[in-house]
Parts: sequence; structure tokens; C-alpha cells
Amino acid sequence: MSESDKNKDYRNPRYYTNRELSWVLFNTRVLNEARDKNIPLFERLKFLSITASNLDEFFMVRVASLKDMVAVNYDKPDIAGLTPQEQLKELGRVTHELVSLQYSTYTRSLLPMLEKNGLHVIQAHEDLTEEESRYVDRFFMDNVYPVLTPMAVDSSRPFPLIRNKSLNIGALVKKKGEKKELEFATVQVPSVLPRIVEIPAEAGKTRKVILLEEVIEKNIEKLFLNYDIVCAHPFRIMRNADLSIEEDEAEDLLKEIERQLKKRQWGQAIRLEAEAGIDSRLLEIIEKELNIGEEDIYRIPGPLDLTFLMKMYGMEGFDHLKKKPFAPQPVPAMEGEGSIFDKIRKGDILLFHPYETFTPVVDFIRQAARDPQVLAIKQTLYRVSGNSPIIAALAQAAENGKQVSVLVELKARFDEENNIVWAKMLEKAGCHVIYGLVGLKTHSKITLVVRREEDGIARYVHLGTGNYNDATAKLYTDMGLLTCSEAIGEDATAVFNMLSGYSEPLSWNKLSIAPLWLKDKFLYLIGRETENAQNGKKARIIAKMNALCDQDIIAALYRASTAGVKIDLIVRGICCLRVGIPGVSENIRVRSIVGNFLEHSRIFYFENAGLPEIYMGSADWMPRNLERRVEILFPVEKEELKARIMHILNCQLKDNVKANILTKDNVYEKVDKRGKKAYDSQEAFCLEAIQTAKEKKDDYHKRVFIPETHIV
Amino acid sequence: MGVKTFAAIDVGSYELSMKIFEVSQRKKIREIDHIRHRIELGTETYNTGKLSNEKVDELCRVLTEFQEIMKGYQVTACKAYGTSAIREMKNRMIILEQIKLRTGIHVDVISNSEQRFLDYKSIASKGAFFDEMIVRGTAIVDIGGGSIQVSLFDKGSLVTTQNLKLGILRLREKLVSLQLKPTHYDEILEELVAGQMEVLEKLYLKGKKIENIIVVDEYISNALGTGKGDAKESYIEAVDFEGFRKGIRSKSPSEMAREYHIAEESIFLLYISTMLVQHILKLTEAGHLWIPGVTLCDGIAYEYAEQNRLYSSDHDFEKDIIDCTQNISKRYMGSKKRGETLEKIATTIFDSMKKVHGLGKRERLLLRLAALLHDCGKYITLNGVGMASYEIVMATEIIGLSHTEREIVANVVKYNYLDFDYYQEMNKGAVIDRQTYLCIAKLTAILRVATGLDRSHKEKFKDIVAVHRGDELILTVNTPYDITLEKGLFTPRAAFFEEIFSITPVIKQKRIM
Repeated sequence: MSESDKNKDYRNPRYYTNRELSWVLFNTRVLNEARDKNIPLFERLKFLSITASNLDEFFMVRVASLKDMVAVNYDKPDIAGLTPQEQLKELGRVTHELVSLQYSTYTRSLLPMLEKNGLHVIQAHEDLTEEESRYVDRFFMDNVYPVLTPMAVDSSRPFPLIRNKSLNIGALVKKKGEKKELEFATVQVPSVLPRIVEIPAEAGKTRKVILLEEVIEKNIEKLFLNYDIVCAHPFRIMRNADLSIEEDEAEDLLKEIERQLKKRQWGQAIRLEAEAGIDSRLLEIIEKELNIGEEDIYRIPGPLDLTFLMKMYGMEGFDHLKKKPFAPQPVPAMEGEGSIFDKIRKGDILLFHPYETFTPVVDFIRQAARDPQVLAIKQTLYRVSGNSPIIAALAQAAENGKQVSVLVELKARFDEENNIVWAKMLEKAGCHVIYGLVGLKTHSKITLVVRREEDGIARYVHLGTGNYNDATAKLYTDMGLLTCSEAIGEDATAVFNMLSGYSEPLSWNKLSIAPLWLKDKFLYLIGRETENAQNGKKARIIAKMNALCDQDIIAALYRASTAGVKIDLIVRGICCLRVGIPGVSENIRVRSIVGNFLEHSRIFYFENAGLPEIYMGSADWMPRNLERRVEILFPVEKEELKARIMHILNCQLKDNVKANILTKDNVYEKVDKRGKKAYDSQEAFCLEAIQTAKEKKDDYHKRVFIPETHIV
Repeated sequence: MGVKTFAAIDVGSYELSMKIFEVSQRKKIREIDHIRHRIELGTETYNTGKLSNEKVDELCRVLTEFQEIMKGYQVTACKAYGTSAIREMKNRMIILEQIKLRTGIHVDVISNSEQRFLDYKSIASKGAFFDEMIVRGTAIVDIGGGSIQVSLFDKGSLVTTQNLKLGILRLREKLVSLQLKPTHYDEILEELVAGQMEVLEKLYLKGKKIENIIVVDEYISNALGTGKGDAKESYIEAVDFEGFRKGIRSKSPSEMAREYHIAEESIFLLYISTMLVQHILKLTEAGHLWIPGVTLCDGIAYEYAEQNRLYSSDHDFEKDIIDCTQNISKRYMGSKKRGETLEKIATTIFDSMKKVHGLGKRERLLLRLAALLHDCGKYITLNGVGMASYEIVMATEIIGLSHTEREIVANVVKYNYLDFDYYQEMNKGAVIDRQTYLCIAKLTAILRVATGLDRSHKEKFKDIVAVHRGDELILTVNTPYDITLEKGLFTPRAAFFEEIFSITPVIKQKRIM
């Protein structure tokens, strides 16, 4: 280490971006997709909807936790040197900007485009024609009115509970014939009804829709018969939803989480969205009752809660305005006769979702459940789909007398409720269910199948970068590995022993586990590249992940960059690292791919002086992944699989359509395509998957149908 | 399929562990799973002699889980051994019965020498490498929580084995109770260890060249990553070990934990272990270390494989026991020749009347040991050889023998001289069950006849043929010597034999002219 390097302070706050602000940049990148004219119109609706639900979650968790910090006077600055107070202030500014960009996108680009393409969104009930009005009113009386619960506030009726994330219509009312003061009334827009109400139109003509809250607003006087309606406006609040579970004190984690979930409805309000033209008297009442400050009020020039656009995306009849859905392709190694275990025995199998189907993973568990030779199935589950075939297979396995152990992470945020339901179901079926570990979230994705074979016990392992969720596997890009390597099998057994509360194994063969050793492993791998660069050997790092915000790792990357290691980072979301800082990060390039599929895989490439090593895993380079979660990093060792992963990384580095490059001014810019052929890596992977599947099929048929023509 | 799945459980003083093995003729012994649960049984039983209810509950809970795991692997057989923590429990019979009823697992208690023997067997099971090694002077240092066991080999045979109360947990307790600064640890440990080691050196190491040390210790093998792959890979030079130890001294516990991937709480124990090994290296000037990374569970699996004829090592463990016993005899100035003659006569008689005594191979070994040690008490006193011999045998650890077996040998040696005590009498002091008692009686009867035949200590009866015919045991001697003395004094010796077996031994001489 040179003298100058030793003295360099790689932890200087100036070298870091605040993670929340970086997240807003990410959501802006998603929003940019909604603004991209090259993308089919309905896909753009979808992206806009995603930015809205992202922002909701961001408020409920991140902003809420900053508010908590401020509330207890916690003022330690983050890695970028900002105190929680300062972060909130800055965030207030950028999120307001983001929101106004969302709505200008909606009203200025998307609405006119929809109109042009035959879908008219009626923005205010006042714009309805007489005939339309009649339909809407009937619709209201038939479908909406019966499920509404209007509530008025007076001295005998306290201010009602406004549910988190719910859309409401607030109104100022006055008793009929009396000159008394104004009273507050509210009604929740029922979430059980579709938000979009289509008004019948003649065939072939422009279709018309109106939003449910407009329908209610139009008919609001029917809800408060003895009152005059002075004004009525939609509003929506966001509450602090970060569960604070006292795990050590909780007797039963399951019950504690159930209890806390109910409390989520009562969290402190941290954001209020209201229609832009809201009556100031009405706003004042809501503001006061919810105890919310001016800076947390968002005046929305359009419909609240844009997530309804996802429903609009689902409307039939507009397929020409959507991207043709991609059907995940069969995995070549899975073709042909024999059980999945026979196939894994032939060699490790790499899975690349969603380009390749998730079926092998489901089959792995399904076949294990039925296979008489299988003794045990062990799996960690974090988020699964509703009606998951994996859960069904596990339950079936238990019923077939297999030993089934499942670690269900109850603390998977926003999936807690969901997870409790099927965890109970698994238990009923006879599975041994472990409800997570005290103080840690189990984020690793691993399945172990123990099988008794001719010559003894054999272990089959699936390791992945994504959740065991067949629904998201069609949308998230993830990698998986199926293997029967003895070394990994032993480690997998050890992982489950540890998860069951037994001591750590004496040593690990191949896997690195967080929170025990994973961070050290990464620091070691980065450090090795640094050393190699210093000794004039080949040194290079390519790392792909969802978020990068661990200071130790970033500092190590800065050191590596300074030593001359060429570093390419493919970080979809938050990135606290800054590029192009003279003498610190000049050798680091950061790109973010935001495409049709959600980039989700974590892949790490280290040059290792010409003997490259490739790892994959469940962990991002975030403190929470490396320190407070159970994560697994696994090596890919088979040369042909390594070559395939290299190809995938190279394609992503070549992407100039969906890639955004982080500049030294700390903004993301699309790649300058001038003089280059457009290359969309996700598109390319789709085509490759189709091609490979086809080749393999042809190959297979060819092989099967070659008759012997002459005898030697 | 020829593959058996076997579970070995070690109820240790600070850890409850289970290993699942696959045992087959083809693949030999393959470890599949190793499950460990930390539970400090030792601290309680060492202090109070009993185990608290909470600990019993915890023990039963984990053992029940072990049962589940066994079911998962469809384990065909299971063996559970309790070591010192269980051994030192006053109410162990009650607790073990409770455990059996609650978990279905029967825990056997093994003596230190049995335990060490299992460790030793598991090392030997690592194959030819071991046999090559012990041709040259070799010491096995088996490091445990309460004590360490040092066994010395020379020219392929076991010379001695000694138990020293220098276990790593024990040393840790001492260091902690002294409230020292960590910088003083080295010195104090040196002192604690040196006293006992000196005795070992004076008595056993003088003039012996020890070239190799075999270390049985979880912490070192874990830190060095030995024991996983090929046996040869866990073979290291003393110089390298010294380097490793120095490395440990210069690092903080958290650094070490990170570097060697072991739990931070184990670091201190690792440090004590390396310190002990280093001390022995210095003492013996051995140049090489072998750290095969075996545990008691491996030994249990080996024993199982051996008993089920699924696997056997080329190494002759019975010979080790005999060798060791001969060395004990030698220490007490026993005559090697006389011992061997007696052994020969006794086994000849034993073999000729298998149907009569109904004893097996193991008892035959005990008889041989008793023959070899029959007069070791002479070293102390010529009057009262019987009692003195008994005491010596009881106080000497013979590797591979259970406590009961040692008791048998000691009693046989004792009653070879003294009048036999019948069951009510013998059962008074020690816990000798019916079967043990009968074994003692039978072996004593045989040994008495054998000693009677070698009265003059001139090995006249070296070539003897024993034939059991009707109610007589005809002992035909092929000797040119006069055997009047033996014949004359034989009757009182033979009386006991008659009493036990209802067979009269008769001497016949076949004179070689």
C-alpha cells in the first residue's frame, strides 16, 4: 500500500450519495421509462403505476424510519454526512419534484395518447354527458352505494380511523336548513370495487372510463341526506408501517407479528395527498386531525394513487399497445427422459429466469415430494406467490411421509400476513416449520433434497438469487443453480442445521454465509484484486446487484479503483458509490438497467489474476444484507456455466437501450447511441432463450429419428 | 444395498453432538451430517455431581430432535455414549433411565480409557498412513475438555498411555479464576503444564525418540482446516505449526475468528490447545504433526463398522492392549518370560474348554492381561502380592478396557493369591454384577491352575497340551525336567478349578528322551 493511499480517507462523506436520494434517482429512472416514446403506450402506464407503488412503500418504510429518528433526536449523519433532519428536508424537495413529474407525464403525455388510441378517461364527473351521467348514477346505486360507510364527525362521533393507503373522499357538510357551522364527513372509496368504471360506448368508437372516486363524489349527497354538501375532495394518507417487533420479548413471534400487523393501520400519518384544488377549510381539518405538517402535504393535480394504472394496463382490447408477452422458454438440460435428479447428476444446471422457465424449480420439489427414494426436503421461503405450487408440493411431501423442514420468514416486509397464512397451512400438513431467526431475516434462497440412492445418501441442492415465487419468476431476472456436488450438499445440510438452532459447522466447503462470513469474503475478494493490481497482475471486478450502499464495501472498491482495478458495477437501484472522483473512483463505472423485467440477480465476477471466480447469491452489497440477514453466496465452478454467466454480464455491459450510466455529476444518463447499433440486453436474452430451446428440440428430434441405413 | 446408515451420539461435557454416517464395505465410513448443540453439562456435574432439571430437559429436547433427524435419514442403528460429565454424575442411573424413557435413546457411559481407545481407533481407521507413522516414535495427544491423553508408540506398538488433568476447559477455568492479564497467559500456562509434563517426560520419554505427534483436537484441526480431505493433507511440519501458533498470539480474537472462520468464543480454547501441542513438541523435539480432525463420533462409527464386519483396519488393536500391558509389567519388574509362559498355559487351558466356561474372545484377552500382570504387586511387597497387584491394576489405565474389564483383570490377579471371596462378599465394596463375578471366578480358576503349573518359574510347562475328556482336564507336558514339585503342590490349586468347573485337572508328563 502506498503512503498516499494509506492516508486517503475513503470514508469521506463527500464520496458518498445518500441512499434515500439515490433511491429517488432510481424511481426517476423508472419514471423515465413511462416517458419513453419508444415504449408501447400501455407499458408506459405500467411503469408509471410502478413508480407510484414504489413511492408508497418508500414513504411507509424509509421516510417513516427517518421520521422516527428525528422524533427521538437521533442526529448521527449517514455515510454522505446528512443528518436525518437534513435527509428529510432534501427528500421533501425531490419527492415533490418526482410527484409533479409523475402527474405531468400522466396528464400531458399519457392521457392525450390514450385519447388518440381510443380510450377516453373522463377526469371529472362534471364532464359527463347526460346519458353518461345516468349510467354512472345507476352504477352507483346498484354497485357502490351498498358497500359505502359514510362517516360524519361531530361532538358525539370522533374523527374516524383513516386507513393506511386507502383512498377517501372528505367533505364539508352543513345540516339542512340550519346556519350552523360546517362539519367534516368522510367516506372511504371501497377497495373491493374496481377503481376504473367503464361507461358503455358504441362498438368501434372511443371507449370511456371514469374513476370510482368521481362516481362517488358525483353522488355524495345521497350519502348525507340531511346535509348540504359544501365541498368534497379525495384524499389519501400514508402511515408509518415499519413494524417494531420486540423479538426478544415476544413469546411467540407468530402472534406478535399478527398483533403488529393490526397496528400498522394506526401508525403515525406521514404523508397526505389531496386533490390540488381542495377547499382550504377541509384540508385544515384533516391536517389538524392527522397531525401532519405542511411539508408532508402533496397537492395532486390529477387522480390520487396512480396504481390504478396497473388495472388499466389489464384492460382488454388494447393488446396492440402492449409488449407481446414473453413465454419463458424450456431449459435445454431439462429435456428428455428421466427424473430431474438424473438430469442434475449429469452436471450442474444453470437457470436463467424469466428467459428460462421456473418450472424446473417447481418440478424439483414436486418430484422430490413423490419420489420414494427422497428422505427429506428442506427449504427457505421468503416471499411466495399466492396459491404457490411450491407450498402445495411441500405439503404433499409431508403427507407422503418425507421429512420436510421449511424456514418461513415471517418478517418479509409487507408479506407478513401472507406468510402467516401458508406457514400455518404447512404446519397442518406435517411440515416442520421454523419461523425465522431471532434478530435476523432469512433472505437466502436454498433448497436441499436428501435422497437415498444405490450407493448411499445423495444431496441435491438448488441455490438461487431470487425468491421461490413462480409468479415473480416471470417478471424478475434471476439466476439459479441445480447441483448435486457433495461439497455444496454438505454445506447445505450445515445451513439447515444452523437454521434449526444448532451450532455452526466446523468449516464450510463452498458457501459463504451472512451474517457470519459473507462481508469478509467480499472484502477479501475485492482486496485480492487490489493486491493483484498493485503487483501488476490482471485485476477486474464486475458486480451486478440491486443495491450498493455498504460503506466498507464501497471504501474497498475505492481502494481497488485507486490501485488500478477496472470495476464495472451493474446496480439496478440504490447506489451510494460515486464515480469519477479524481484519485478515488476513476476506474469505476456504474450502470443501471431498468427494463421490462425487473433486474434482480446478483452476480459477482473477480478476475483473480487470470483464474476468474464467479459467485452468485441472495445478498446485495447493503449493510442489512451483509449484517442482519441470513444470506448465501455460492460459487459457480463449471467452466461452461462460468462462460455462460460471463456472456450474460458482457451483454448487460453492452446494453445501450435500457442502461443508464451514472455520471460524475451523480445523475443517470442514457447511453449515447450515436453510431452504435441499439442493443437491448433483455430483448437479446429473450431471443437467445427461444433460439437455444429450438435448437435443442431440433437436436433432440434429429437424434431420435436417425435410422441406421446400412450395416457395416 | 449394503449401505447402512448409522448415528453416533456423543454426550460430551460441553457439547451434544451427533454424526450421521454411511457405512458400507465399498465406501467404508462416510460422514453425512454433523449436528452440534452447545450444552455445558460438565460445569454442573463437576461442581454438584448432579444435573439440574433444566439441563435434563434441554438434553432430552435435543435428543428428541436427534431422533427426528435420524428418522429423516432412515438410520438403521444408533449408539450414544456419555463421557466424563455423565460419568461423574451421582444420579446417572436415574437420569439415563429418564433420558431413555423420554427420548428412546439409550446412553451408555464409557470410561476414559474406552473413550480414548475409540479416539485412537478412529485415528487408526484413517488407514495405512497411521501404521507407517507409528513404526517410528510417535505420540498421540488427545486433547479433551477435562484432561488430555498422551499415548506413546514405538516400533509399531503402543508403549504407554497416560492421562493428564490438563484439559483445555480445565485450564481455561484456572486461567480465568486467576484473573490475569492476557499478556501473562503464556507464562502461567507454561507453568501449569510443565509440572505434569515433566513427570511424563522422566518416566516415559527418557531415551525415546519421538518423531511424530498425532493431535486429536477439534479446535486446531478446524482452524487449520485439516481432516477434511486426504489424510496426508493434514500432515504438517513442526516449524509450520510454530508459525501458526505465533500468528495466533499476534492477532485479536475477532481477527482470528475472521481469518480461521471459527466462532470467537472458541478462540481462547484454540489458543490453549496450540499451547499444549507446542509444549509437547518442544519436549519431544518431534518434527512432524498429524492432525486428522477426528472426534469421538468417528470412533463410535468405526466400532460399529467393525462389529458389523463392514470395515476393519489392518491395525491389530488387541496387540496394542497386550503391548501396553507388557510395558506396565515391565515397569514393575515383572519377568517377561514368565508372563509369556503363564499366558501360554492359561490360554491353552482356556481354549481347550470353551464349551465348559462359555467365555469369549474378549475374556480370553482379559485372561492374557491377568497372566501378564499376575505378580506386578511384587514390586511393592512380597507379602500381600495379591492386594498390591490389585491396587496397581486398578490404578493403571489400560487403554481400550472398560472400567468393568479392568476390575475383572485386577480381581483375577488378586484371587490368584488370596482366597476367593464369594458373591455376597465380593459385591460389598464395588459394584460387581453377577456376570462379572462369574467371569472373575472362571478366569481365576484357570489362572490358578496355570500358576500352579509354573511353580518353579522355570518354564517347564512351556509346551503343554490340554485336552478335556469327561470330567477330567488332561494337561500333557512335554518336558525333560522333573516336575515333582508342581505335581505335589498342584492339588490345592486344582481344588478351586474343580469347584468352579466340576472338572479335575490332571498332569501327565511325556518325557522327551
